[in-house]
Order: sequence, then C-alpha cells, then structure tokens
Amino acid sequence: MSWHLTHDQLHRYATHTADDVTAMSAEAHLTHCSHCRDRLPTDEAWLERSWADLRDIVDRPRPSPLERLLTALGLREHTATLLAATPTLYRAWLAATVIVLAATLALAHEIPRGTLLFACTAPVVPLVGVALAYGRGVDPAHSLASVTPWAGPRLLLLRTCAVLAPALTLCTIAALLMPAVTTVHETVFWLLPALAMVAGCLALGRWMHLSMAGGVIGGGWLLLLTVCTLLDGTDPLQVFSPLAQAGWATALALLAAVIALRVRTA
Amino acid sequence: MTTTSPRNGVRARGLVRTYGTRRALDGVDLDLGPGVTGLLGRNGAGKTTLLRCLATDLEATDGELSVLGRDPERAAERTEIRRRLGYLPQNPSFYPHFTTFGLLDYMAVLKERGGRRERHDEVRRALRRVDLYDRRHTRLRRLSGGMRQRLGLAAALLGDPHLLLLDEPTIGLDPEQRIRFRDLVSELAVHSTVLLSTHQIEDVAALCRRVLVLDQGRVIFDGTPAALIARARGRVWEQGTRPPRNVTSWRLADGRHRVLVPEGVHNPDSDERVPVEPSLEDAYLLLTGAVPR
Repeated sequence: MSWHLTHDQLHRYATHTADDVTAMSAEAHLTHCSHCRDRLPTDEAWLERSWADLRDIVDRPRPSPLERLLTALGLREHTATLLAATPTLYRAWLAATVIVLAATLALAHEIPRGTLLFACTAPVVPLVGVALAYGRGVDPAHSLASVTPWAGPRLLLLRTCAVLAPALTLCTIAALLMPAVTTVHETVFWLLPALAMVAGCLALGRWMHLSMAGGVIGGGWLLLLTVCTLLDGTDPLQVFSPLAQAGWATALALLAAVIALRVRTA
Repeated sequence: MTTTSPRNGVRARGLVRTYGTRRALDGVDLDLGPGVTGLLGRNGAGKTTLLRCLATDLEATDGELSVLGRDPERAAERTEIRRRLGYLPQNPSFYPHFTTFGLLDYMAVLKERGGRRERHDEVRRALRRVDLYDRRHTRLRRLSGGMRQRLGLAAALLGDPHLLLLDEPTIGLDPEQRIRFRDLVSELAVHSTVLLSTHQIEDVAALCRRVLVLDQGRVIFDGTPAALIARARGRVWEQGTRPPRNVTSWRLADGRHRVLVPEGVHNPDSDERVPVEPSLEDAYLLLTGAVPR
C-alpha cells in the first residue's frame, strides 16, 4: 500500500460518521491494509463478545430434532435438553413396547377375545418405562447425576413425562386399531389403571429403588388379573368396569397427593 | 444434625453408615477445609461410602454432618450443597452415544449452570482443563479409559465447586496426565476443599498437606504425610536375606528385600541389614498392616 487512511478518516469510519463514499473507500482499503486495520479503534469487550458468540455458533453441537421440536413447542431450552436426553435411556424399552403392542394388535385381529391380551398389557407399558427411567443400575450416568441440584423428584418427574408421552401415544394408537372399537371408553379404558400404577410406582420410589417399585406394582397387577380369572364367573375385564374405573381414579388422586407431598418435602 | 462446618468445608461427628448389619462407617469424626486432603485405606475400608455421604448421594445412618455450612438432610440445603459440589465417583460411566461436549452440557444443565451461551463456554473451559477440547465432538464409546476418567473430572469441575470429592481420580491416567491432574487439583485447592480418595500413594505424597487413613470404617490416622512417615522411622530396612514371615517384605529389583517391621515384632539381625528412610507408602503399609507376602 502506497497510502494509508488518515486518523480523521479512520475515526469517522469507526464511529459511522463518514459519508457513504468515504466509508466504502475506507472499507475497501481496510480489507487489504493490515497497517490501517491495526490503527482502527476497537471496542475490546464488544470484540470478545462477538468472538464468543461466533465460537458458540460454530462450535456448539447441533441440537437433536427432538430438542428442536420441544424448543419450538415453547419449552425452556434447558428443559428441552433434559427431556431430549431421556429417550436415550429407554431405547430398548421403546423398541420392546412397539413390538409388544404390534404383537397384541395382530393377535387381537386373529383370535377370539384377543383384545384381552392388549387390555392386560397396555396398563403395564408406561409402568415399565418409568421404572427404568431413573436410578442406579438403569441410568448409566446416575452416579454423576444423583449429586446435582436436579437430582431427585424433579428429574424423576421430568423423565416420567418423557416416558409417558410416547407410551400413552403408542397405547392409544394400538387401542384405536383394535377390532370393533366404537366408543371413547373402548379406546382409553386402560388409561386410568396405567396412570394409577405409574403413580403407585413413583410413590413407592420413596422407600425402594424405582425398578423394584415397578416390579412390586407390576406383580400386584398380575395378581389382580389372576385372581379375577380364577374366581368363578368373574371376567378379568371387570378391572376396567365403570365401578373399577372409579376406584382407579380415586387411587390415582390419592397417590398424586402423596407424590406432591413428597416433592414438597423432599 | 446440629453441627455446622465452615462455608467451604466439611464437619462430621460420629458419622455412621450401615449396610444391613455391616458398619461401613463407624463413628467418623472429620473437619475439612481448603486444601487437598488425601484419603487412604484398603478396599472396603469405607472410603467410597464416606465420599458418597459427603456428596449427598447417601444418607448417614447416624451422627452429625455439615457440608459447606449446610445440613444435607434438609432438601433445600442439600440442593444448595449440590450447587457448589464437584464429585467424581469411582469408575464413572456415561451414555455411550453422547459426545464429550453433549455429556458435559447435559451435566451443566443438571447443575443449573446459566443460559446456553454461558453454559457452553463453561463446558469448553472444563474440556480444555482436562485436555479433551480436541475430542469435544467424539462419542463417548470411542474414548479410552483414561479419557473417560478425565471427562468425569471435567464434569466434577463444572460450576467451580467449593468442595471437590474425588474417588480414585487417577486410575487409567498416563504419567503425563497425572502430572497435569496434580497441577489442576493444586490450583483448585487454593480456594476449594478437595478430598482425594486413592490407592496411589505417590499422588497423596505429591498433593496433600494432610492425610486421613480409614480402616474398617474408622479414622486410624489424621495428620500430615510427614507425621505419618515419622511413625515409620526405624522400622524400615533393606537386607540381603528374606525376613521371617511375620513381617511385611518384598523383593527389590536388585535382589535385596525391603522389610517393614511392625511395632512389637522382632526382625532378627541379618547380614548387610541397613535402615532406610521410610516412604509414605511404607508408613501407610505399616499403619494398616497390609501387603501379605
């Protein structure tokens, strides 16, 4: 470069007070002249912030599609991060759920009273997912996560939501595809028992590992179905009768109160 | 629990933790402040249980405990402790398909670390501190054991913790990384309380101004490394012949035997027997009566 910008030209360019022609000329010159670039007054704090922003944009990992969807739905960024990470804990459960529900669906269309298998299975699907979503032995990073401020009921309830969403959706889809489904009750008859059992598992989690609590509740469900089957003249589907549904709703309300109390005092 | 510790320390009085009928901690009294304290003991001595109690991961069965000036039994205070706590568990495991950056970002969210930009900056700082920045986009299943260990350390460092609890942190680290680890821990210990549980006595010798030795859930020594070494003076020998079986000894590379003679045990005179200055390891072995022949 055989010439350089004057101090006045540089100052006016930096403070955006130069006319358009001078500004364009100065900009073209600065592109090629390191000497004048070095003399250009800069706001170091602004520059550092800008570099940090740029570094973050270039360097940060791309959020997963689920994380982007959750953020688009209005969830806070950190909640979306935690929720999006949860499915990685239960991929095996999710795959098993799809297979089991597909099998029950196929059987329901092939054999008489085939819907009974779905009725027995659907309420347990969310329970298994919740039982495997939190705790030592089921969460690989539990030893790290268990000593963070989020550990405990807050993280457990968040992961429960992350499990319930796909579980309830899949069960509802399977119920809609069952043969001869005509009423709303026939679509969601399994919902209250499922939610009550999940609530029971969460409440029992206060005293035992969540996976063990899931086992206890699941065992209780099997026992109930067995008793209903063995009793003379009792249809196992009676556990979904209107009277039984009232019982499930009451149990759910009571257990929800216990969980709320636990969250408040934990 | 009524006892209170300094806002950057730990105080325990008569701490007990049982598993069924076994007392993993049997009345531990402890005061910790800024600096690095080494925690030594045999396998099963109660080191990990003590660290998990201090880390609020386990509830003590009995006794009084205050961590960073707060009571870990109260939910709100426990959360406060966790905000200012760094804990590296023994053999930490991770989600294998996460990247190193992704895992630390997830841990930073769990630690309630700021907005996304600030959190990401902190994650980058932590990765640089453990020399994993170049591996920030590597999936965890592709990391070596030593790298995973460093990643666990990076997770513990998130949030500039006031209390850092490290359980066997140098397992799997190569000598260069161990030096770097010591440098990092020394730097942190200027303002933070660091409790370092390890079997690597040389790490304790290099880092710690204070050492605790646990045996069967009890603190059997609490003092400086120099004081522990002083207890072993006059009881460590090197000799040409193998000593009797009631003393601890091992064969050295030059064919001689290093002999540790516990108190009250007679080591018969032998040819070429020379007293030697005990190392911290000798002193620890004499204290715990470890190393069978």
